[in-house]
This record gives sequence, structure tokens and C-alpha cells, in this order.
Amino acid sequence: MTGPAPLSPPHPGSSGFDWLRVPVIGRFLRWRHCRMAMQVPLFLVGMAMIVHGLVGPQLAPRNLATLLTWVHFRGALVLVMLAGGNLFCMACPFQLPRELARRFFKPVLRWPRRLRNKWLSLALFVLVLFAYERFDLWASPWWTAWLIFGYFAAALAVDAVFKQASFCKWVCPIGQFNFIASTVSPLEVKVRDPDVCTRCTTLDCIRGTRGTPGEAKGEVIQRGCELALFQPKKEGNLDCTFCLDCVHACPHENVGILTRLPASELWSDRRRSGIGLLSKRKDLAVLTLVFTFGALLNAFGMVSPVYAVQTWLAGLLGTTNETPVLGTLFVALLVVEPALLVGLAAWLSRRASGAPGPLLPLAVRFSYAVVPLGFGVWLAHYGFHLLTGLWTFIPVVQEAFGLGAPRWDLVGFPVRLVVPLELGFLALGLLGSLLTAWKIAEREAPSRTAAAFLPWGSLCLLLGSAAVWLLLQPMEMRGTFLGG
Amino acid sequence: MEWTVSPSPPTAGPLTVALKLAEGTKPVAGAEVRLEGTMTHPGMAPVSSVARETSPGSYEARMDLSMAGDWILLVDARLADGRTLKRQIELPGVRPDGRPG
Repeated sequence: MTGPAPLSPPHPGSSGFDWLRVPVIGRFLRWRHCRMAMQVPLFLVGMAMIVHGLVGPQLAPRNLATLLTWVHFRGALVLVMLAGGNLFCMACPFQLPRELARRFFKPVLRWPRRLRNKWLSLALFVLVLFAYERFDLWASPWWTAWLIFGYFAAALAVDAVFKQASFCKWVCPIGQFNFIASTVSPLEVKVRDPDVCTRCTTLDCIRGTRGTPGEAKGEVIQRGCELALFQPKKEGNLDCTFCLDCVHACPHENVGILTRLPASELWSDRRRSGIGLLSKRKDLAVLTLVFTFGALLNAFGMVSPVYAVQTWLAGLLGTTNETPVLGTLFVALLVVEPALLVGLAAWLSRRASGAPGPLLPLAVRFSYAVVPLGFGVWLAHYGFHLLTGLWTFIPVVQEAFGLGAPRWDLVGFPVRLVVPLELGFLALGLLGSLLTAWKIAEREAPSRTAAAFLPWGSLCLLLGSAAVWLLLQPMEMRGTFLGG
Repeated sequence: MEWTVSPSPPTAGPLTVALKLAEGTKPVAGAEVRLEGTMTHPGMAPVSSVARETSPGSYEARMDLSMAGDWILLVDARLADGRTLKRQIELPGVRPDGRPG
């Protein structure tokens, strides 16, 4: 193994604080094998979770599969996203078997053109949300273990057949969640000095670095971006897994991990490499809406009023089968509600601002405004579980590995301390959404910004109020609303 | 082992668990009985209690269920002759604060 090359001084045109220039951390991240060094421990943890889920105690709070998946992983994911960036994709253990497998065989097919959009991964994202509620995955170590195993298998299978990072870009539901959430992160993998790129002739960041004909037979010795993000034209974190292939490939050391204004990419509509124009991407717009309304739905699933609604729905449908009841709730809250609210906001916005043009493109352009609020809801929800149950992994690890008498008294922070933090996360998300809506309104209706903003600002306030209401409801964790 | 809880159906807050331990028709007296209540969702704070024997073979424990939802009570009894008994009691759908379910 070789260490990273010494770093040249900052380019005069570079902007933002560059984490690759931080001692120790920067040196580690510039090391070619840093990703694998992070993946290996997480892979081992993943294996332990699968084994414990299958053969360990089938009580969710006492099993590593359920505890680490539904409490620690989810909570850490959103907190790291808030403080840094898409570091889970960077250290993704699901990619490790695929990396190893690709040393022995190379896929030959390209991902089908018809599927080069987010619709499939969006459907899978909704499916995971639905399965979580329908099958009470949080309460089942056995099913959670199979879910993790299935994830490993799917990542391996897709990338064994298709070239590039097809699983990450077009399939992975966690990845899509991370891509959307990371739009509000403070860090971005980006070019340090654009002028350097204009003089570049090799384009290694996208093509990869080839060895000389005498060395490695001229083959690619360091791949470029597998997600088709050409650094000079990349903007924002969408579709970026923070794999740092571009960092390692760039012969000019011109790619860094730079700080930026969180969420600012949401109101930019410049054409971006590998993505295109946000305003033309209906699939991405719908993904952002599902991300936000799904956050509210997921939180709604664990407060008392949901059971009254479900029981009422069950009576209305004349069934005690949970699937149609839950399906109706999902359609109502993930399809009908967003369509009505966003449609109404778009109509009012067009009417107030006098902007010409059809309604759907306008709705697409503004829909990115709800992302910060959605992220705030996920953060409040998952952060709550992580912080109130922070230390619960200690006794479970003790019991699993026979490390002394388990300390079942170790739990986490008291609820009374965590609730104000949750409200803070929601407020931060709401402010971010209002700012984003304003900036988009400025772009879309420069002369009547306030009028164009008002309906979208009202929508954000409405959703923010719903989130606060949910937060203040008595929490109730049930999976048995019809039979229990 | 037979068990009842009060209030029934159970609600968040104080809960009394009554247990009867018997071998055939003979009550099992003098056991040390501990209960731990845990939610089906991981990461929630468990609650625990030691039961007292109210009459030969009859035990009673008081617990404070911190939240509505699905609970599981883990019964861990050490009998007078050294044998142990472990049982699991499921309390699905514990309602919030005394409201009917």
C-alpha cells in the first residue's frame, strides 16, 4: 500500500474550507484505500448483525440486527449528514463484496436506458417504508437480518451484471435518501479551482487514470466517477456517494471536500453533470416530495392518533386486514395529499405572480423547497431514537459476546432533554425550506417574488406545523392496531 | 404460570402484575421473581421490578410503563430449590394514559 502524495498549496481560486487539507483526516481521506478501510469494519458489523438477527434472541431491543439498524444506524446517518455529508455512502459496507468481486470479473452490460431515472429507486424507497410499517420490521430481528442480507445480495447482483455504480445511482433506496438529504449538508466534493480544469486534457476524474502502456498494460489503474458526475460540471451532492474516486484520479489534486452553504444547491438550476436540470427532472422532484411527506408519514406511524385513523379506515373498508388499510393510508399521505397541496401551491403561485406556463413544470421547480423541512423531520425522528437509546447497544453487545453482566440500565438521554433538540431540528428545517422557497421564487418571478413565494411559504409552514403537532403527540410504538 | 394485569386492558403508567406459580395443583412458594418490561421497538428504556409474594405461590409486581405501545414482560423466577423459570408475557397495544383502546 502506498500513502497519499504530499499536497500542493491551495489554488488561488479555491473557495471554502477544504477537509482534505486537514492534518491526519485529510491525509487519511487522500489515501487510495481509505474507503475500503472504512467499509471493512462496517462490513464486519453488518455480518455480526445478520448472524445475531438469525440466531440471537428474537427480542428486538436485545438483538444487534434490530437495535443497530433501526436506532443507531438511522440516527447516526442523519446526524452525520447534518454535520458533514454523505459519509454513509462513502463507507457503505454493501459495496465491499461488489468491490472484491469486480477484481475477478467485469460486468459488460450498461444499465437500461429506460431505467436511467429515479422511478425504480423511488418505488423501492416507498416499498421499504411500507414494509417497515406493515411487517413491523423494527420488532423482528429475523426479518431485519434478511433485509440486510438482501441488501448485500442485491448490490452484488446488480453491479455484477451492469457496469459503473448502477446499484448506487439507479436502485439503492438508502442511497436516494442520502442523495436528497445530503443536499442540506455543509460539505461537498468539488473542484478547488475551475481554471485548472479548463486546462486539463486527460479528464481523469471521469475517465479514470490509465497506466502507461508498459505499466498495467494501459488499463485503468484508478477509476473515475462511476456515477457519471464530471467534476468541472458537477454541482451539489445529488448522486455523489463521496467515494472520492475523483479525488484519487485527478492528476492536478484539484478536487477537495469543501464547505458550502447547506441547501444552496436546491435553488440553483444550472445544468449539472450526471443530473441535468433539476427543473426538468420530474422523478427527482417526486423523490423530494416522497422524502418529505414520507418523513411525516413515518413519524405519524408512531403516535397515538394513527391508530384511531387506521381503525376508522378499517371500518370504512370493512376489513381487519392491515395491508389494504395501510395501503390506503400510504396512497392518501404520499400521493393524494402531496398532489393536492403542491398543486394548489403551484396554482396560487402562478396566479399571484402572473408567471405564464403550465402548472406541472412550476410545481417541479418549486418542489425542491420542501427538502430541508423533510430532512428536519427525519432528523427529529431518528435523532430522538438515537439519543434516547444511545447506550442501549452496550448491554446487547455484552450479552452477544459474553462480555460480563449486561448493563441493561444504560439507556440514553432523557426525553425532556431531547424534545427541545427535536424542536430545534424542525425549526432549522422550516427555516431552510422558507429560504429555499424564497430563493426559487426570486429566480422564477424576479419582479413578483413575494407573491410567488407566499403559497410555497404557506405550504412549508403548514407542513412544519404538522411536524410540530406530531412531535407533541403521545408516542406509541405499536404494530398491532387491528388485532391488539 | 398464570398472570393477570391491572388495569386491564393495560395503559401507560402504573401497572400491577399478578403471577401464580404452580406445579400441577401445588403452589410454588418462596421464589424470587423479577420482571423486566421492554418495548418491542429497540432503544426504548426498559422498566424493571421485583415481585413480592402475597400468598403461597402468588406474586405481585408493580411497574410503571413509561409509554403506550407494544410491551413485553420478561419474567425471571428463581425457585426455592434453585431451579429457574423464564417466561415472556406479551402486552400488545398498551393505551396511553388510561384512555380506552
